[in-house]
Amino acid sequence: MSLLEVTGLQAGYGQAEVLHGISLNVDPGEVVVILGANGAGKTTTLRAISGLIGRRGTVAIAGAALPPGDPAAVVTAGLSLVPQGRGTFTKLTVHENLLVGATRRRDKAGIAQDIDRWYDVFPALRSRTGQAAGSLSGGEQQMLAVARALMSRPTLLLCDEPSLGLAPLVVRSVFDVLRQINSDDGTAMLIVEQNAELALDLASRVYLLEVGEVVSSGAAQDLRHSDAVRRAYLGY
Amino acid sequence: MQFFLDRLFDGISNGAIYAALALALVMVYRATGTINFAQGEMALFTTYLAWGLTTKHVPVVLCLLVAAVAGFALGAVSERVLVRPIEKRSLLATLIVLLGLFSVLNAADGLIWGKGNQSMPSLFPNTLQSYVSVLGARLYWANIGVWLLVAAVVGLMFALFNGTRLGLQMRATANNRESAALAGIGVGRILMLGWGISAAIGAIAGVLFTPLTPDSLGLGEMFPLLIYASAAALFGGLDSPGGAVLAGLLLGIAEVMLSAYVPAIGGQLQEAIAFVAIVAVLLLRPQGLFGTREVERV
Repeated sequence: MSLLEVTGLQAGYGQAEVLHGISLNVDPGEVVVILGANGAGKTTTLRAISGLIGRRGTVAIAGAALPPGDPAAVVTAGLSLVPQGRGTFTKLTVHENLLVGATRRRDKAGIAQDIDRWYDVFPALRSRTGQAAGSLSGGEQQMLAVARALMSRPTLLLCDEPSLGLAPLVVRSVFDVLRQINSDDGTAMLIVEQNAELALDLASRVYLLEVGEVVSSGAAQDLRHSDAVRRAYLGY
Repeated sequence: MQFFLDRLFDGISNGAIYAALALALVMVYRATGTINFAQGEMALFTTYLAWGLTTKHVPVVLCLLVAAVAGFALGAVSERVLVRPIEKRSLLATLIVLLGLFSVLNAADGLIWGKGNQSMPSLFPNTLQSYVSVLGARLYWANIGVWLLVAAVVGLMFALFNGTRLGLQMRATANNRESAALAGIGVGRILMLGWGISAAIGAIAGVLFTPLTPDSLGLGEMFPLLIYASAAALFGGLDSPGGAVLAGLLLGIAEVMLSAYVPAIGGQLQEAIAFVAIVAVLLLRPQGLFGTREVERV
């Protein structure tokens, strides 16, 4: 059974419908990437799945349908979103940001252990543990956003443009960490990314989005060599 | 010296009340991003409620508790029913709705409890003899009681904010509502709670403040208080609970001292001091003494 099963997803803002019935699925431990031009509805897809905006259509996790517009229920079901722009709690300390990420958990010892683990993975965060998170650099905030999302111990991590606004070296290390987490913990991932080269490297499957509809999907290897994808997203 | 101390004691009492109300304003501001114009009238409504009970010979302590609980309900329901559906539209619409709530509550007070001024019995011994002498000045038990209770409320709030999971969730929600929701925080519940606690603090402030002056419970009682509290909240920094408390105290003392030592101000121009403070802060230091100017790297 799929870990995430999305069927006929429709969503939008006010009167404007952005998604016209999207269906996709993610298997346990799988990394899937959504490619698409600006305005294709990539971010809206992730926001609708995570309950930040209302939707029609079904979103099911491990076979259990989720209620629309209820982010807390989504987190409890094992999904966690790294939002576009990182969503840092700028006035809270780095440590508090991570604690907030563990809101739905009660196991104090496990929470402390996880914080320590992410400090090992991102040493830059450890040295700033008591600092207001708003003072971190963009790259550090992206790492904090990933660590914060992982604090809920999700089975599926949703990432919205993790490379946005970051230097190439930093982007590289963020993707390395995502790959590491995927292979160590078996955390499945659904990633929206403009940097198609990197994303295709990490993902095993791809969905291609155009104006709110899935126009193509398949194995990353196959799509990398398709002319349409190459022209549109790889630029050669 | 005696004259100075008498004024100082009065100033600290007023300041403690301003501080409590300013703290309440800051809590709402951090939750919703608006000044709650109805804060003072919520406090007046619950103070009337407490006074009404005292006329039925209910002990004042019990009346204080009832007022606080009623205040909590009033604040929480206002958030859920009035503010939340409106705030999605615009901040300005929210402010107008709160002004509306202001006048509805005031009119309701008049309808239920009449237009005449009343005297609210004090929680503490409150006769002319119930004081201790400090260097010849009279420190009334009523003043000490106000100080201690406000200090306890403020202390509790800071313990809540900085020492509990719930407080962390409240601060997270105030800082970034969407990320809070994504972390699984029940944002709606936190907002209601913030408004509820804020109105409960206002209710306590009202029941403490009113007995300090005989015949002071009237329809116009809380408006000047709201002005002072807003000035204190602005002065301390709208998003800084500690700043609001400190500024409230300073403003209370400054108000009493200026009207005592500057004859031109006297008893009539007192409220102008608050306005001058508001304008000066907005001009010179818009983020207040302890507020955070938004400094963020992206």
